[in-house]
Amino acid sequence: MTMNLIPGVESTGSALSAEKIRLEIIAQNIANSNTTQDANGNVYKRKEVAFEEFIKMPERRVPGYVDENLYQGVKVVDVYDDQTPGRMIFNPGHPHANKDGMVEMPNVDVSREMIDLISASRAYEANLSVVKTSRRMAQQALAIGR
Amino acid sequence: MTAILDNLYSQENYLISKKLLDATHLRHEALSNNLANVETPGFKRRDLPENFSVELRRAVDRDDFRRVKQLYPRSVEDRNAKPVRIDGNTVQLDEELLAMNRNALNYEYLSNSVGGTLKELTLAIKGRV
Repeated sequence: MTMNLIPGVESTGSALSAEKIRLEIIAQNIANSNTTQDANGNVYKRKEVAFEEFIKMPERRVPGYVDENLYQGVKVVDVYDDQTPGRMIFNPGHPHANKDGMVEMPNVDVSREMIDLISASRAYEANLSVVKTSRRMAQQALAIGR
Repeated sequence: MTAILDNLYSQENYLISKKLLDATHLRHEALSNNLANVETPGFKRRDLPENFSVELRRAVDRDDFRRVKQLYPRSVEDRNAKPVRIDGNTVQLDEELLAMNRNALNYEYLSNSVGGTLKELTLAIKGRV
């Protein structure tokens, strides 16, 4: 059985980076909550991240050998656009208005983004506290016999 | 010669503490993986099986220390955990953190126990602290 000196460090590290990506995407959504045209000329669509558990494939299979280091936390598999249509508002003077004078607003709901922001930062904090616990455990392991 | 030296490390309490220390290490890895996946849809929490401690206790009660050495902890999917969210994820943040803190305390106790045995051996060899 192989073991790490710092227990669970891969899982926690992957979770911290995944939650950070999620926080960045949420910040991007809020920042663009009124962007009616992006670089390609389309209205901004809110972005969402997809998480998946990260399981490492075993490098070699030895009978009777139990490798517990296969579960290595979480990874971001995709950042995709939410395709629900945005709200249409009547504003004929707007440079992005269509021929009927309607402007499509981004489908970003700021209150929903704020809720996502809270849950993402809570998950980040929880994983940070795991880092502290893991570190203390590693220090205790190194102090055995001293 | 090695057989004589092996006896140094075959005290019963030392063997059991060592095994439990392995188990707590593994449990910490499983719990930190659960916490890493607190936002992963459909994730099922993983933990040490309950029958590990039961089997260890049974082996200790029967003074079967060969069996104690053979027992290897493994983390398995926790089938008792019910999903509390729509996406089927069974991780509950507060419970995982509580379990992790208790487990870390167990680790502290067990590492002291293992270290204490080794210190006693050093004392016996040197004749002084």
